This record gives sequence, structure tokens and C-alpha cells, in this order.
Amino acid sequence: MNYYDILFYLFAIITLVSAGFVVTTRNVIYSAFFLLFTFFGVAGIYVLLAADFLAVVQIMVYVGGILILLLFGVMLTNKITNVDIRTGTSNLLPASIAIGLLMGALVSAMIYTGWKVQPASEIPDTSIKNLGALLITDYLLIFELLGILLLIALIGAASIARRDKE
Amino acid sequence: MYQYFYDLTGSVIISTLITAVFPLVNVLLVALIGVYLERKVSAWMQDRVGPNRTGPFGLFQTIADFLKMLQKEDATATDIDKKLYNIAPVLVFAGSFAVYAVIPFSSKLIGSEIEVGLFYALAVSSFVVAGILMAGWSSNNKYSLLGAMRSAAQIVSYEIPTALVVLAMVMFLGTLSLSKISEMQTAYFWNWNILGGAEFGLSKFLLIPFMLVGFIIIFISTLAEVNRTPFDIPEAESELVAGYFTEYCGMKWAMFMLSEYGNMFAVSAIVSILFFGGYQSPFGYLGNTLGINWLIPYEQAFWFILKGWFFIFVQMWLRWTLPRLRVDQLMTVCWKYLIPYAFVNLIIIGIITLL
Amino acid sequence: MKEYLKNTWLGIYTILVGMKITFKHLFTPAVTIQYPEVKLKLPERERNRLYVNIDDCIGCDQCARACPVSCITVDTVKSVPGEDLGTTSNGKKKALWVTNFTIDFAKCCYCQLCVFPCPTECIYMTDVFEFATYERKDLVYQFSNLSPEEAEQKKINFANFQAEKEKQKAAAAAVPKPENPSQPSTN
Ligand code: SF4
Ligand code: SF4
Repeated sequence: MNYYDILFYLFAIITLVSAGFVVTTRNVIYSAFFLLFTFFGVAGIYVLLAADFLAVVQIMVYVGGILILLLFGVMLTNKITNVDIRTGTSNLLPASIAIGLLMGALVSAMIYTGWKVQPASEIPDTSIKNLGALLITDYLLIFELLGILLLIALIGAASIARRDKE
Repeated sequence: MYQYFYDLTGSVIISTLITAVFPLVNVLLVALIGVYLERKVSAWMQDRVGPNRTGPFGLFQTIADFLKMLQKEDATATDIDKKLYNIAPVLVFAGSFAVYAVIPFSSKLIGSEIEVGLFYALAVSSFVVAGILMAGWSSNNKYSLLGAMRSAAQIVSYEIPTALVVLAMVMFLGTLSLSKISEMQTAYFWNWNILGGAEFGLSKFLLIPFMLVGFIIIFISTLAEVNRTPFDIPEAESELVAGYFTEYCGMKWAMFMLSEYGNMFAVSAIVSILFFGGYQSPFGYLGNTLGINWLIPYEQAFWFILKGWFFIFVQMWLRWTLPRLRVDQLMTVCWKYLIPYAFVNLIIIGIITLL
Repeated sequence: MKEYLKNTWLGIYTILVGMKITFKHLFTPAVTIQYPEVKLKLPERERNRLYVNIDDCIGCDQCARACPVSCITVDTVKSVPGEDLGTTSNGKKKALWVTNFTIDFAKCCYCQLCVFPCPTECIYMTDVFEFATYERKDLVYQFSNLSPEEAEQKKINFANFQAEKEKQKAAAAAVPKPENPSQPSTN
């Protein structure tokens, strides 16, 4: 076991344990904060996989954007309006079937994909250049479509928020 | 930095320790000197004297304060959320401290020379936001909660102009690595990005005004991101007691303070790296002239810290000049002024870079 | 659009003006007066800690009665004939031993009302204003110059004298009556 392995297991444990807590804690605020550690752990694993850009984006977008938004939403509704938002379980059977199927699909995808294995010495220092090039060439259409989708979502959100004024 | 100290000492443990401890010492020193300087600067600007009792010129005032802080009873309110309440200061401090991992103090004193350094520095500060929200919520106090909300809203909004300026700079420089950005503006001050970068040509002169605009935008928005006056509405004393850390005392409170000063230096460092040549000396190096090579990293560190402190001074200067903004004014400044200007600036810098 | 640009310019310009002003003040000498080392001259009729020149006090209790917060306590004992208490500086003859004269400065509101009624002008305001102490009881100042033993002695003297007089009176009335010892009077 070298440093690399130790770090990997550390981040894996952080991710898994906090993800477990996210699902099992009944207090939504706690769930949200545990999500923080989950994201952090995932980012750490990205770093170990030499996907530095992805790791930073993970933190920036998920922690800096989505999690904050989530916390904002929960905090503004929880306590202030005297509604204690808590998680509960319903539709246990269909949910577990659906999750089981999804998990099966994911696991099989994981097993049957021909992963590109590279020795550590061949992995480039940074993934930004390749990523950027790929985004502008091979995946241009998807990239642009996603951009448009986001723009639509933005405009939609703004118009919904403004509607009652007119 | 690790490599440098490894070559110097030849011991893995010592070099690792130095690499790890150096930023921490820096943060502590920044807080120690920063608090003192803040008091002195505010005093001078208000024609007062400032601390002058503890030690010569009151130099030991912050140390005395620190000792006092250590001894304080850790009083906690009964209805707080104990766990989150205790984690929050750590998270806030960790978030602001993590930035130091990538800040190049000189060509040798860099914690980690990662390629995405600039982006990383922007990203880890989001832990600070999470920590602030955590502190505000767990205190179970409406002032804290309001302060935390304001703070999060403010930081999230002002991240956009910051990111846009950074984007423009990245387009211009073609790299995200902080050390490479510093390296590109070598030696003399006319190579600094604020004066159009190292490449000599028409574009250099065209760029100067837009670089200036970019600098002003990023300075204002980073000022807002570290919750300094005039953007200190999250901790507005006159409205919210102390904002998100109202309920904290003793060492936990000190950690918030520490992270505030740590953040101040971090954003100053990033601004100076982006626009003012980072650790590059404005007038060339004494080490080069004298032919003493080992001197250069120290000279660089000196210039870097000097620049950092200069911007901290400007922050303090602004703090004691301007009154606090109202919440709506704050949002107006960000969304109606900074962001449009940042966008226009982005496009123009992009076009000039392409020329 | 024009408005917008104007606003931007105005914002930046006014900030720079403000910064210029504060920068100038950075180098203006401080107006602070370093209090414990440098003290301002007190105004002419300042009211601070009281002082009682006990040599001049005739123990008339006027000051204690004037005090709105009752922080002055004056205990006196009559002198016996033969004792010479001397005169005050303005020529009044003293007839009472001031056995106890305390002023509790924790209560005093520095209204100076006690100063005016004094017939000998022996209670007056000084310019001492720094007399903070660690214990509240240290703020009770004793001005009487008689030690407790002396004060006790004066009381006994007076009681004896009183008893003597009683006896003489009784003898004069020629009605021998058993004498019970009179209590020492406390004025
Ligand atoms: S100054 Fe006023 S309060 Fe003080 S002892 Fe004299 S009468 Fe009483
Ligand atoms: S009024 Fe003057 S003389 Fe009379 S008891 Fe007071 S201090 Fe003494």
C-alpha cells in the first residue's frame, strides 16, 4: 500500500460514508451538509485519476453552486416558515426495484466498458488542453446544445420569477 | 517548494513539513500583522493614534489579544446545533487556507504547481460559503442566519464578475497555472499584465485600458467575496450584531477572523499575480546583477509579499473610506454594473488577443 | 446608456475623491490626547472628589443634610468644659468632636450641594478625578482625624461628664437616687 492507495481509500471512505448519511439522515440540512463531503470526496478521487480540471469543476459547480443553492432553499423554507422539512420513505418497493435496475445497468456498464488503461507515467500533467480541444471539435454539438439549454433554463427561471409583477 | 527544500536539506520529512507549515505560518502572520495594521491604518485615517500601549508602538497588541482569546471560556448558547456549530469555523478556515496551496510566493515557494491553480483558487473558496452558511444556520439566531444568507448571496453573485475577468485573463494568457502566469510577466514592470503583458506590439497598447477595467472589476468583486467593507453587509455590525459569527467566541471566533485575513491576503495575491506580475520584481533582480543565484527566490518572495500587503493596504484604505452598501445597492453594483462591464471587457480582450 | 456611463464614472470618481481624502488624513498628526501622560486642563468650576478640611469642620451636619443621596455621615460628640478645640480659620469656636466623618464616593453624584451650606467652607471640591479602586468599600473616605480609640475616649469623657452633671444635679436636688450608668450618646 503506497500513499496513493491510502489517499484513495481515504477519499472513498469519505465519499461513501457521507453519501450514506445523506440518504439516511432525517434532517434535510444535515443531508445537504453531508453532500458537501460527498462532493469533496468525489473531487479527491478525480484528482487521483489525474482529472484535475474535472475535480476543480466538481468543487466549483457542485459545492459552490448547487449545494449553496440547495442550502439556500432549505434554509429559507425550513425553520423560518415553521415547516420542518424532513425526509421520509414512501413507495419502498417500486423505488427499490427501480434503483436496483439502475444500479444493475451502471454496474454492468462499469464492467463491460473497455476502460482505457494507461500507466501513470503516460498520463499528461493536465487534462485542460485535451478537454478544451475535444469540446470544440468532437463534442461541439453537445456543448452548444447544453449551452442553449442552460440559457433557456435561465430565461425561463427569470420569467417565472418575474411573472407576478406584470 | 518541496523539491527546493528537498535539495536544500536532503530530508523528506523536513521538506514536507516546511512545505506544509509555510502557508500556515504565513496565514498566521498575515492575521497577526493584518489586525495590527488594520487598527493602525484606521487610526491614522481617523487622526487617532491606535494601539500604542502593548510593546513599542503597540506592536504586541495582537499577540496579547491572541493570548486573551486562547484563555477565553468557550461559551455556547443552548439551542445551537452543536455539531455543525463546531465544524463551521474549521470549514471556513480550511476553505480560505486551501487557497494557499497553489499561491506561488516565488518561483521556488509554491505549495503545488498544479495546472488549474487559478481555477482551483476560485473553487475552494466555495467551502468558505458553505462554512458560513453552516455557521449561520447552526447558531440558531436570526442575525446569524440573515448574515449567512447575505454572505452566501453576495459571494455567489460576485463570483461571476471575478470568473469573467479571470476568463478574460486566461484567454489572454492561455494558461490557468498561477506560476506560469507569473513567469510570463518576468522581470520588469512594463511586462506586467496591467500594462498589456510581456509581448510587445500594437495589442500591448490597445490592451492597457481594458486591463485596467479588468483589474478594477476583479478588485471590487474579490473585495466583496472576502466580505470586506464596503461590502460587509454579512457582518454589518450596526444591523446584524456580527452576522454569521454572532454566537461564536474565543478560539472559534478567532478562526473566522483568521480566515478573513487569510482570504484578504489570498485575493490580494491572486490580483497581483493576474495583473501585477505575481512574484516578479518590477526592477529586475539584485541576484542577477550580483550573480548570486540563490538570492532570487527570496527576492521574489519579498516582492510577492510586498505586493500582497500593498493590496491589503488598499483594502483597508477602502474600508475606512467608504460606508457600507445597502443590500440592493450591492446587487445593483454586481449585476447591473460589474457583470456587463466584465462581459464587454471579456469580448474586447478576446478580440485584441486574436489580432 | 448615457446615464449608465455617467453613473459608472461618478461611482469611480467619488471613490477616488474619498480615497484621496483618507490618504491625506493618513499623514495628518493624530488629535488624540494621550490621557494618562498628558492631561487636559480641567475647567474652572469642575466638580470632582470632595475634600473636607477637618480642622475647620465644626460638625454642624449641614452638609450631610444637604446631600441628596445621603452619602455623608457626620458623627459628633460634645466636648467637655476644659477641652479646647481651637477655632476655625474664620474664627468660629469649635464645640463638637467630629468622631466620624465619612463620604461614600460610590454614592456621591458630585452635585456640590453639600459645599454651599457649610458655614466654615471646609468641604470643597478638589481636582482629583482618578480614584478608581478595586473594592467598593475603598471608596468610603474617612476625614475625621480622630483615631477610633480617641473617638471612643471622647465619648466616654462626655458620658462621664454627663454622669457627673447628673450626680451634681441629683445632689443639688438632695434626693439621693441610685444612678444607672447612662449610655454613651452618639449625638
Ligand atoms: S456632592 Fe452632592 S452627592 Fe456628593 S456628597 Fe456633596 S451633596 Fe452629597
Ligand atoms: S457643613 Fe461644613 S462644618 Fe458642617 S459638618 Fe459639614 S463640613 Fe463640617
